Amino acid sequence: MISLPHFLAIGAILFGLGLIGFLSRRNFITMFLCAELMLQGVVLNLLAFGRYHGSLHGQAFGLFIITVAACEAGLAMALFLVLYKRGKSLDSGDWQAVREAGVSATLETEALPAYVPDESPTLPVAGRIPEQPEVTVQEPFRA
Amino acid sequence: MPEPMTPLGLCLIAVALPLVGCLLSALCGLLKLNKLAHLPAILSFASAATLSTFVLLTLAKGDSNLSLFADLGTWFSVGRLDVPFSFHVDSISLLMLAMVTFIATFIAIFSASYMHGDEGYARYFSVMGLFVFSMCLLVTANNIFLLVAGWEGVGLCSYLLVGYYYAKPSAAAAARKAFLVTRLGDVGLILGVFLVWQMGGYHTNIDRLIHHIVEHPPTDAALLTACLCLFCGAVGKSAQFPLYVWLPDAMEGPTPVSALIHAATMVTAGVYLLARTAPLFALSPMAQIIVTAIGGTTALLAAFIALAQYDLKRVLAYSTVSQLGFMFMGLGCGGAIAPNIAILAAIFHLLTHAFFKALLFLGSGSVMHAMGNVIDMRKFGGLRKVMPVTHLTFLIGSLALAGFPLLSGFWSKDMILHALQDAGRSRSPFAFIYTGIFAVACLTAFLTAFYTFRAYFLTFWGEEKIPHEAHGHAHESPRAMLIPLIVLAIGALAVGAVVDPLTHWIGDFFERAPVVHEADHAFEKATNMVPGHHEFSWTMAGISTLLAFGGIGLAAVLYRKGGPEVVPEAMRPLQALSLNKLYVDELYGATLVAPAEFAATGARQFDGFVGSLARLISFVPRLIAAVLRPLQNGLVQFYALGMILGLAVFLTVVVVRSFR
Amino acid sequence: MPPILANPLTQLALAVVLGALGVALLLPKPRVRSVAGGTFLLVAAFGILGTFLVLRFGQPMLMRDGTNSALGSVIFWVFALGSVLFGVQVVVQRNPARGAIAFAFVILSTCGLFLLLAAPFLMAATIVVYAGAIIVTFLFVLMLSNVRGPSDENDRTREPLLGSLAGFGFIGLLLFALHQGTAPSNDGFDSELPSVVVSNADRTAIEVAYGHVEAALAIEDAAAMQQHADEAQQALAVLLESSPSISSNDPGAKVQAERIASLKPLLRKLSDASLENKPEALRESLVSLRESLSLLRGVAELPARNVANLGYLLYSEYLLAVEMAGTLLLVATIGAVAIAARRKEATA
Repeated sequence: MISLPHFLAIGAILFGLGLIGFLSRRNFITMFLCAELMLQGVVLNLLAFGRYHGSLHGQAFGLFIITVAACEAGLAMALFLVLYKRGKSLDSGDWQAVREAGVSATLETEALPAYVPDESPTLPVAGRIPEQPEVTVQEPFRA
Repeated sequence: MPEPMTPLGLCLIAVALPLVGCLLSALCGLLKLNKLAHLPAILSFASAATLSTFVLLTLAKGDSNLSLFADLGTWFSVGRLDVPFSFHVDSISLLMLAMVTFIATFIAIFSASYMHGDEGYARYFSVMGLFVFSMCLLVTANNIFLLVAGWEGVGLCSYLLVGYYYAKPSAAAAARKAFLVTRLGDVGLILGVFLVWQMGGYHTNIDRLIHHIVEHPPTDAALLTACLCLFCGAVGKSAQFPLYVWLPDAMEGPTPVSALIHAATMVTAGVYLLARTAPLFALSPMAQIIVTAIGGTTALLAAFIALAQYDLKRVLAYSTVSQLGFMFMGLGCGGAIAPNIAILAAIFHLLTHAFFKALLFLGSGSVMHAMGNVIDMRKFGGLRKVMPVTHLTFLIGSLALAGFPLLSGFWSKDMILHALQDAGRSRSPFAFIYTGIFAVACLTAFLTAFYTFRAYFLTFWGEEKIPHEAHGHAHESPRAMLIPLIVLAIGALAVGAVVDPLTHWIGDFFERAPVVHEADHAFEKATNMVPGHHEFSWTMAGISTLLAFGGIGLAAVLYRKGGPEVVPEAMRPLQALSLNKLYVDELYGATLVAPAEFAATGARQFDGFVGSLARLISFVPRLIAAVLRPLQNGLVQFYALGMILGLAVFLTVVVVRSFR
Repeated sequence: MPPILANPLTQLALAVVLGALGVALLLPKPRVRSVAGGTFLLVAAFGILGTFLVLRFGQPMLMRDGTNSALGSVIFWVFALGSVLFGVQVVVQRNPARGAIAFAFVILSTCGLFLLLAAPFLMAATIVVYAGAIIVTFLFVLMLSNVRGPSDENDRTREPLLGSLAGFGFIGLLLFALHQGTAPSNDGFDSELPSVVVSNADRTAIEVAYGHVEAALAIEDAAAMQQHADEAQQALAVLLESSPSISSNDPGAKVQAERIASLKPLLRKLSDASLENKPEALRESLVSLRESLSLLRGVAELPARNVANLGYLLYSEYLLAVEMAGTLLLVATIGAVAIAARRKEATA
């Protein structure tokens, strides 16, 4: 026997987390992933209630939600591509121009940390002789 | 609608003709035919004069009452107020109609030459036509509101004509002053008209109105108030104390305008009004004494100021004010002696004054024209030989004004003095006041003769002096200017013939006006005295002659050699007082004009304050908007956050309430 | 436990506050911060939430006889925790690619929960569509944007505290509504999800009746049709007898009772048609009977015949919606192509 409120709670938590992410993150992709997270919470809710009533209506509706989510994802990706072409980044903070006249743009004051490139080796372009790192010969340890 | 060929019809046509002339002159102006603009004016005035003189001559003889009514339809009708276009031609109005149109014709002829080449030629004649029409409307109106309409019309035309040289600041100011001061009087007039309308059983036609009031007289206080209000209008329009200050300044207008408006016609409208409403005044002897007192004050005051003026036109202007005072003195006698005598004296003096004053003004215009627009008597002299015709006509006019025996002015002035003397000897409770005013009138007559001949001698006697503005072209005026002078001089000489002891014509003629009978009847009711009739008194004639010769003689002694004027030390303060017009203008400026300007400035400040208040109110939405605007920062996530927070609040309320 | 902490409302409030603070701390900021504080707070918050759930609503998986299904509970908690924790990762992860992978794990966990809710087809569909198609599309777009090192979009957060408060506030609100809306639990029995109330005998009866109805509709012969119809009626009579009462507390049973009750007018029509001996009327009533029976069958076979019954449902009740969903997909495809198509530059 499965109790209904537990599933509803999980659905609520997923929805809430998705909401936080959607409102806080600035990367378009992350924002959209959080929106999908919210949809998952909703589907969970629907299925729980469907099971509670012993009918398949919840599942049918969940199917429609998946369909719509898929369409939404496709269109969103297309829009993100266009925005990226224009703004050269996936930052939602670039698009503030719809603000009221007389209000100044919201700009960031705190500086980003310096870029530290990854330690992992990058593959060289084929055809070039890779740089050989300096090899220092270590003397064996004599105890 | 009366038939055109009847006397009434001809009179109405005579009233309408100047309006047609006005419109045609305006048309000439619009069509750029300025040079022809004088023709419609002169022709319309001449035909109107012909028609009205013809009617006058036709109806001159007879015994029956002369009272013709015409009703040309309703002007407007609101509630209790019904105002038709109704006209009434009786002795007084017929005489005034003839006089106005006759003098207007000759002044128009004079103007055609005087204003020759002026830019606003068409405007001048057009407004003159409108003026004559308004004056004719005023004297023939039977409906009291139509009379007020004519009253306002002459006021407007006076403003337009005094301010003819509108680009000159002094002329514009003078026009404004004339209009505003007479406006003060008009306030009283309108109040009086409405009081009388109410008392008169809500009739608007004057004859019925007055008849109603005489039959059902209201309380003494109410009647006194109404009469004084009407008199207030007369004080404004006829330049009596304290509202006379506009008339001397109105000399800024062209001289023929002064001749027409401020000597012969407009300023006499007040006298005419009092004559028209004489029965009302007859019912209130208290009002009559006030009329006389103000008339006397004005006459003496103006005569005193005229003594020291060096501007010839100013002398004539103050002389007009003084003579108008005489007319009101005469009218006011109707409280103690029979109103028919009072009305006869005043209107007859009005008639003669029109002739000789218009003559004097036109003469001064002729002098001014020759002297290159200089009218300061100190700058010219000895013009006897230079302008002989002008000199002669001016002399005739001066003699008439001074009251030289057998000239027109002598007869009319004598009639007024006699009326005052009789009023002093009557049984009226105010008899002693009338006697005092009689003395004032005698003194004023003496002063009138003196200053008139002072002006005459300073202008035409002494050594010949031409100002340089004349550019050496000082000569007699052209014929078009001389003919009106000659005609008016003949009038000034001969008008005396209509009165006894030569004929009794004018007395009899006035007896045929119903309003005079009505006034006598009212007088009898009010004072229980039997009204008498005018009789010629040889003693009074003798006194008048003495006064005239005395004034002329003194002026001759002092000014026979012409200018410059020498004032003895003892007389200097008085001379300064007279020259400065008794500082009345300055007094008005300090007591009335300055507070009004102060109040106006205060009102403007208050208006500005209210404007700031309104602006403050308009500031509030902008303030609120400035507070709320940063919410629209263009960040979609921020908007989403706002929505979510709002939704959270809403859901909280729903959840909590549903589970209560 | 002290009484103040036993109050569900306090537990909720505490969980909301701690969770909000934790997420706010964990959300990416330009200066690198340690994750210890945020993690600790979040763990505490979810712990409190879990405790609240158990205390208020009882154990998640209960047997009919009152004992706890250990395996069921374990599966439930594992998948639940997995979805929640990976969900947190999606939200706070700096690197969007890692976020996408975390999202994939969220999908997997949620699908485990779907299975527990007797929705196998939806589980499979979700995994295929989400973890398969959507995430791959995301990763494609992600790779197109060459982001190296710290950047505005990855390392900054818009309104961390307010956003977290909003989200956890919502969670608290929903749980509060849940808390208020359910009756207090006596060992959690009343809020349980009902099992299928169809007994074996009922199941057999329905199958037999369905078979007869199918056979009747396949034959042209009127007499044989009549015979099969009679057999079906007999089988269903048994079902009608053993139907649960409509006024039962158990909503599942109630629904079942209603469904069975809805068969009654159809059976009446069938008998009328049989009595009047009209073949067309008989055929019509048999068709409508078959519809209702298949619904009943579907419910009876809840997880096992899930796909078939779901399909049947979609193409009967939700036909219009299906068509529209198809159109929507078409329009979305065209739209995506139109929006993202490369515009020819004026200058080469």
